[in-house]
Amino acid sequence: MTEMSKAAPLPALAPPTAEITPRLRAITIVAVVGAVSVVIAFTCGGYWLSNFTQAYCMALAVLGCALLYGQLGLVSLCQWALVGVGGWVSLRFYHYVHPPFVLTILVGGIGASVIGMIWGLPALRMRGLYLALVTLMLAGAFQSLVTVISFPVGGPGFLGQVGASGNDRITMARPVFASGDTGYFLFVAVVTVLCIFLVEAHRRSKPGRAWALIRKNEQMAAASGVRIVFYKAWAFALSGFLAGVAGALLAGLFGQLDGSAFPTTTSIVIFIGTLLGGYDVWLGAFLGGVLTRFIPALLIDLNVNTNAGFMIFGAALLFALRDPLGLGGQLTLLAERLYSKFQAQRAS
Amino acid sequence: MSLLPFIASGIGLGAVYALASVGLVILYRASGTLNFAFGAFGGVSAFLAWQLGDWDIPAPIGWIVGITVSTALAYGYGRLFAPRLAHRDRVVRAVATLGLALFLFGGMALYWGIGVARRLVLPTDLNFVVLFGVRLSYTRLIALGLSLVMAGGVGLFLSRTRIGLAMRALASDRHISAAIGVRVTQIDSLAWLVNGFFAGIAGILLANISRLDAGTLTFLVIPAIAAAIMARLSSLPGAFIGGMVAGMIEALLIASSPEIANLRSAGPYIAALLFLMIVGTGQGVGARE
Repeated sequence: MTEMSKAAPLPALAPPTAEITPRLRAITIVAVVGAVSVVIAFTCGGYWLSNFTQAYCMALAVLGCALLYGQLGLVSLCQWALVGVGGWVSLRFYHYVHPPFVLTILVGGIGASVIGMIWGLPALRMRGLYLALVTLMLAGAFQSLVTVISFPVGGPGFLGQVGASGNDRITMARPVFASGDTGYFLFVAVVTVLCIFLVEAHRRSKPGRAWALIRKNEQMAAASGVRIVFYKAWAFALSGFLAGVAGALLAGLFGQLDGSAFPTTTSIVIFIGTLLGGYDVWLGAFLGGVLTRFIPALLIDLNVNTNAGFMIFGAALLFALRDPLGLGGQLTLLAERLYSKFQAQRAS
Repeated sequence: MSLLPFIASGIGLGAVYALASVGLVILYRASGTLNFAFGAFGGVSAFLAWQLGDWDIPAPIGWIVGITVSTALAYGYGRLFAPRLAHRDRVVRAVATLGLALFLFGGMALYWGIGVARRLVLPTDLNFVVLFGVRLSYTRLIALGLSLVMAGGVGLFLSRTRIGLAMRALASDRHISAAIGVRVTQIDSLAWLVNGFFAGIAGILLANISRLDAGTLTFLVIPAIAAAIMARLSSLPGAFIGGMVAGMIEALLIASSPEIANLRSAGPYIAALLFLMIVGTGQGVGARE
């Protein structure tokens, strides 16, 4: 039980004096992600644009991972597998009914959220190390499964496979209003902002308070009338939803997905990104997620062997574990202090 | 169709998992850390042994160098990094070793490449016994024997010696152990040293039995953890049996229909998940967290 409260001690730094209102936070989110995305959209093309689109999808997976770790202290090592589930469900749904793209995203998100909740069920009885191990087993099992059954490509039957030639493959169409690479990237950026809003809304309302109490002390939470199973399952469902949306967006980016693209290692790297970015602020999830794709992409671009990326992430984890704020946390703290100073100056 | 040949090959595979699984549980019992880098330490040892052999250096020197380096790596981590995380909970300490595993994996993959068909040849490959029509090389038998000896020997060491007692105290509660005079850092690094030594030997055997590949050896810990879960991470004989069960499940899945045979690598994970769902983590080490 004590492990929950010890899981992520935040250092007692002087709190910024000026109040950060929800409205100000929302404006910051739109401004920061918007500015970064517009710069990327107008300066990058081809290789980098595709990689930044993937990076935003990874940021969504990290957002879900950070939600579980930051709010409840739960280590999930299967977020990338859940992205795969979302991608699979959305492709399956797409090839059955050819729906509008936004609907596909929602179905992918809900599919992964249901699976995430079912996966979370054993976890409701488990904490700490065992939860991390269970999720790792799930990621491993999913990797084996998806390598065998692969992703639907419009063929007959439930699995939707076509013959070995692959000539009859049908790819998933992008939304009509964002069919180009730049347009699709901006569309993914908008979805990312909406997902960050969704998480922020949770953190600042009843579920967030329930999670905080559960994390502080589960028995105390139960005694104060918090429905523990319900709110834990909710957290799993929400993080699964975010991963599922990421999967659907990836499916839209490439039109199809490959069974070999969902190894257990990426789920581990997602967790590393969560720690690296910082799990307590939205900026951390965004930065951490983008880094998890940016670093390998940069290595490929520089003609460096991508295995060096594993060394970087591995070493980063060893150091990130000692700094609970992470990159995003540090930046947020800095920004909030500057803002406080600015407000104080204006008042005097 | 007779299942006996599959059972025999399951014993061979079980030897691999049992060796890794016992290795994991040893450190967990002795210091409370689940070492995801066990496979990576073993991988480093095996690659060094292979590399030296490739340079025409006598094989025994290669083995000694490999085992020494993996022991040194484990000791170095136990001395430099592990104490800094010692006050954190079990999951954070375990995840940290995941970082180490990825780091070593990246390094091995960078230097020796991935997916290159290599095998570490050992002199014990030439001799084999035939069980139900399946050849079990002496290397596999040694792996089986070693995991039994490790399980039994370390079990006795932990339960009968003074240092073993100190290790168990440390694994149980670091602060109280320190308060009653256990030399926490020394005992902890000793546990890591022993773990690195076993990892080095296991790595050389596993690189021979399965493949000399950075990914295979590093991530072998994941099915091994599935086996260790079936021993609730605490019982050494249980870890041995868990490893054998995991190997047997995979081998028997090959004997089933071809569709299921493709999914065999998921077998140990699903068995571990079912075990946790039905039997639970119990009141053992997991419950104390």
